[in-house]
Amino acid sequence: MSRREGNLEDPQADSSISPLPHLESKIQQTHSLARLLTKYAEQLLQEYVQHQGDPFGLPGFSPPRLPVADLSAPAPGHAGLPVPERLRLDEAALAALPPLLDVVRRRQAELNPRALRLLRRLEDAARQARALGAAVEAVLAALGAETRGPRPEPAAAAIAAATVTAGVFPAKVLGLRVCGLYREWVSRTEADLGQLAPGGPA
Amino acid sequence: MPAGRPGPAAQSARRPPPLLPLLLLCVLGAPQAGSGADTAVISPQDPTLLIGSSLQATCSVHGDPPGATAEGLYWTLNGHRLPPELSRMLNASTLALALANLNGSRQQSGDNLMCHARDGSILAGSCLYVGLPPEKPFNISCWSKNMKDLTCRWTPGAHGETFLHTNYSLKYKLRWYGQDNTCEEYHTVGPHSCHIPKDLALFTPYEIWVEATNRLGSARSDVLTLDILDVVTTDPPPEVHVSRVGGLEDQLSVRWVSPPALKDFLFQAKYQIRYRVEDSVDWKVVDDVSNQTSCRLAGLKPGTVYFVQVRCNPFGIYGSKKAGIWSEWSHPTAASTPRSERPGPGGGACEPRGGEPSSGPVRRELKQFLGWLKKHAYCSNLSFRLYDQWRAWMQKSHKTRNQHRTRGSCPRADGARREVLPDKL
Repeated sequence: MSRREGNLEDPQADSSISPLPHLESKIQQTHSLARLLTKYAEQLLQEYVQHQGDPFGLPGFSPPRLPVADLSAPAPGHAGLPVPERLRLDEAALAALPPLLDVVRRRQAELNPRALRLLRRLEDAARQARALGAAVEAVLAALGAETRGPRPEPAAAAIAAATVTAGVFPAKVLGLRVCGLYREWVSRTEADLGQLAPGGPA
Repeated sequence: MPAGRPGPAAQSARRPPPLLPLLLLCVLGAPQAGSGADTAVISPQDPTLLIGSSLQATCSVHGDPPGATAEGLYWTLNGHRLPPELSRMLNASTLALALANLNGSRQQSGDNLMCHARDGSILAGSCLYVGLPPEKPFNISCWSKNMKDLTCRWTPGAHGETFLHTNYSLKYKLRWYGQDNTCEEYHTVGPHSCHIPKDLALFTPYEIWVEATNRLGSARSDVLTLDILDVVTTDPPPEVHVSRVGGLEDQLSVRWVSPPALKDFLFQAKYQIRYRVEDSVDWKVVDDVSNQTSCRLAGLKPGTVYFVQVRCNPFGIYGSKKAGIWSEWSHPTAASTPRSERPGPGGGACEPRGGEPSSGPVRRELKQFLGWLKKHAYCSNLSFRLYDQWRAWMQKSHKTRNQHRTRGSCPRADGARREVLPDKL
């Protein structure tokens, strides 16, 4: 093997192999994924409000902004944080979303059992949030930034049990909130990765 | 629960956020300053009502913030503000609503009834389910594809419009023994259908019925009893070929193969052929094609493209006496009849002179006879042979007549008579 190709046993032995192109490629891929999921998240929200009936989805509809376990919307100061910190928060939110989306899907399966496309989109969203979260975590690791490490499992069973006994209207509002949070966080992730992507300000 | 719970950014003190079943707290109406969240409750929650019935509801404020009253509250239903005359204050903290003659719910997830504060913020919500109980499903029909499965379809009672989500469940059991089974693969051939893919018994009847259930009640169809062998269908015949019959301008030959899945059982299969002209939507059906795999279409237009399809009815399998179920039609196969060689009316045809036998009663009678044969014996090889010979002879004699005309003569009456009658007639 030539010096140009480097030593396979010790990738860092030859500094002519730069990890940067791989990192850039990874960031770009993850950014593209986030952009795609932002579009899907918007579609999910539109599909969701359609099935809940008016006034869900009407302009000016402002249901109570109920807090959701383990997750809030991106804070106003988020954009002012260093990029690695923003990505850590993005990753944490993306990890919290799948069980919430699962709960919403189960409740919607009872309320709107024939809304197959909605149910499929909710299932896909949970998978996509996991995938994007894992990709962001990989980018953070490649950047040498700390990730959050293991976190306690969300109380999905408790949340699910609570929504079953909750009234239908609060369940509809909760679902709207979760879909909204999903859209906000994938959009936020796209913007944060855009700072790192080639051609971005970072 | 702290008011105005901070977002993840504020939690960058590197402490994992407390894990709280906040959905439970939300459901129980934990108040949140400034949001109006769950500061009131509507009763009843999520009621189910018959179309045309009335509803009395109340919105009771919790008194948070202190001093909150029902003054200024109002109702909306599916985003529309309800007339104030439908509301009245029961007491300082309770606003009542009276709705009469309710219409069916606009969406299956329930109509959204909401109680609003004076500033429009939503204090509480309840979902109304207004509809009808299901009526008895009916018109169950089932078929088995190649004796391997069973698919059933039914019609929901009341044309299906109950305004509520209605669950249909197809049940089946062996007639004299066995437990009730529930079909699991729904909507396979339309919204009210179910497919049982396997583990079906032959030679013993099944009882099949449909149960419909919604929030307002349930209904059960009549029981259909059937033997799988009496409702067998199969695939369309494969390898359908359509070809010309020599130069005969008004005929096409159709050949096909028995559907392979049942070919060892199709002793009494029936077939049907349908055909149409290329630019027509009207199909002609040939019905009496018994257990054959070929047929000849006659009486067609010359120089015309025809589309042809074939289907099979596998009746009589294992001695079943029932009619059987037609397969789907095969994919259309096209072929064209040869163009006519006879010149048209203005093309210089030799018009028969008065008294000439070519326009005489014998020729007319012959034509009528063959026309009758054609109509009543589509697939009779014997008559087609005769007809073919006659037609070929006629075409040949036309050519000969034209040649004579070209030479400046027409056939004499007697000779023409002799020429008209083919030998074998």
